[in-house]
Amino acid sequence: MAHHHVTSADIAINGDHLDPSKSSKIKKASMIVATLGTILSLYLLFAADEKIRGSFAYSWLFAFYFFITLSIGGVFWTLLHNVSNSSWGTSVRRTFENLGSTFPWMFLFCLPLLFPQVHGYLYEWMNIHDAATGSVKEHLHHVDHLLYNKYWFMNEPFWYGRVAFYFVGLSTVIYGLRKLSTAQDTDPNPGIKRLLTARYHSTYPLIIFALTITFTGFDFLMGLDYKWFSTMWGVYLFAGTALNSMAVIVLVCTWLKSKGHLKHVTTPEHFHIMGKLMFAFTTFWAYIAFSQYFLIWYANISEETSYFATRNTGNWNIAMYFLVFGHFVVPFVVLLQAWLKKNPKLLSVVAVYTLCMHALDHYLITIPERGISLGNIKPDVFGAIQVSIPGAFWGDILAFITIGAAFIFFLLRALGQHSLYPNRDPRILESANISN
Amino acid sequence: MSTTRKRVYGYLAEFKSASALYKGAEKIRDAGFKKWDCYSPYPIHGLDGAMGMKRSILPWFVFFGGMTGTATAFALAYSTQVVIYPTIVQAKPANIFTIPAFFPIMFELTILFSGFTVLFGLLALIQLPRLNHPLFASKQFSRATDDGFFIAIEARDSKFSPTETRELLASIGGSSIELVEEED
Repeated sequence: MAHHHVTSADIAINGDHLDPSKSSKIKKASMIVATLGTILSLYLLFAADEKIRGSFAYSWLFAFYFFITLSIGGVFWTLLHNVSNSSWGTSVRRTFENLGSTFPWMFLFCLPLLFPQVHGYLYEWMNIHDAATGSVKEHLHHVDHLLYNKYWFMNEPFWYGRVAFYFVGLSTVIYGLRKLSTAQDTDPNPGIKRLLTARYHSTYPLIIFALTITFTGFDFLMGLDYKWFSTMWGVYLFAGTALNSMAVIVLVCTWLKSKGHLKHVTTPEHFHIMGKLMFAFTTFWAYIAFSQYFLIWYANISEETSYFATRNTGNWNIAMYFLVFGHFVVPFVVLLQAWLKKNPKLLSVVAVYTLCMHALDHYLITIPERGISLGNIKPDVFGAIQVSIPGAFWGDILAFITIGAAFIFFLLRALGQHSLYPNRDPRILESANISN
Repeated sequence: MSTTRKRVYGYLAEFKSASALYKGAEKIRDAGFKKWDCYSPYPIHGLDGAMGMKRSILPWFVFFGGMTGTATAFALAYSTQVVIYPTIVQAKPANIFTIPAFFPIMFELTILFSGFTVLFGLLALIQLPRLNHPLFASKQFSRATDDGFFIAIEARDSKFSPTETRELLASIGGSSIELVEEED
């Protein structure tokens, strides 16, 4: 194509640094919102009326898990880019790394979930364990045989241990890879050594990544109903994670380009590839979501069908239908257009849309459980089991805005720390001149 | 003595490398030629842009081919499983809401019909299979499958001229320029 051929004269020798004046306002605003929201949320989680505490615990879990999928996705794209030895994404790789680097900070928002005052409303199995006076296993043997059988996995010490593993493991991975990548920006003799090191040290972390996305899904979400299980659960969450973290990457790159950054190195070709990846994962999400539904629907085992029975009760049913068309059919048809994927502004509109659908997806994963679990755990406080709890919606919005503002703050902070693209990477010119 | 007159196909010119071919294609595109083509032993990224080629109509064929597959599968599954012979398993109803059971079939036939449309649509659009091509008359053209990069401008093109076209090809780096005549 008639692109300007990018040469080393077009690459910023000392890096393309984010102009602080362009981001400081948003950064400051998001920090204030996040701080105020956190203070209010801590009050609602620990000190408010029990009715509010119970329902807000679910709001917090929903918002926490939504944003952690985006962070984990940033780590995933970094790892995938390194192991696949690909050159196309070198000019946008720093954005992958910056998105992934928000992951360690997400632990702050995981902290409330570690307290029995909060998870007591979320995970019935922990309450049953806590009711034991002597040996937990002996107690379960008399009370709940299912939990007795699941004790090897579902016990509190192991649960805490796993949570520690997720945050220590993937945080170390992304911290190390990002440090390796950013150290090259100022190296007077940048060779290919770091490239090979990054490739080598991205292989086994893919296993850590897979364990993290799968088992956070088991521990935080599937555990909401300890009787329910789905073998598709991990890969289902992964599909949404990969799709929507790519949507965030598209949004960040479009924003940076609109501010005059990533000049010469990020072209419509890169947006085309990122759009294609979004398209691929839209289809993959539908494939996995349908497979999960199909397996459960065909097998017709009551422990499994409870998930869809709950979500097809009352108005949740409308939302579930909406999800099928909104999360799959619409973006599928829209993303088929090649010209649209090459236009950063239009692709960003689609990215915002898929993020909205991702929020709906996660809302439908977490929130329908609220009326049931709270009714099971404390009927004297929350009343009988109900489809949804009136007024609890405002808490969901508050938690979403709080963690969302913090997510934006940590992302902008990461963007401002280093050059916006790896300006001394040996593959930067190859990436800038990519054609597909 | 034979009195048959051979029909002229056009000019064939060889280029040194893939990048020379690419740059030559851009010049010919800008000169406004329509009926011409590039020949290379391997695909060259971005050559379609350098040739100023329009987007193929094939994706639309495939889209409607795929949709036909979806509709065929739905009609097939619905008429047999709901209308003609409902199979009741585990007391599951047989009606439009059992459509998840039809999805695998609908998916498969969408892919199958799309695949067929790609194959046969492509063959129709590039007019294959064919027994011969006028360029096969040129001796050097066989190298297009080995190490030769060629551009051929057809005589049918409205901008074609026996002298100016030859000069154009020579000026943009074409060598071994020959006038290819169709074989009888």
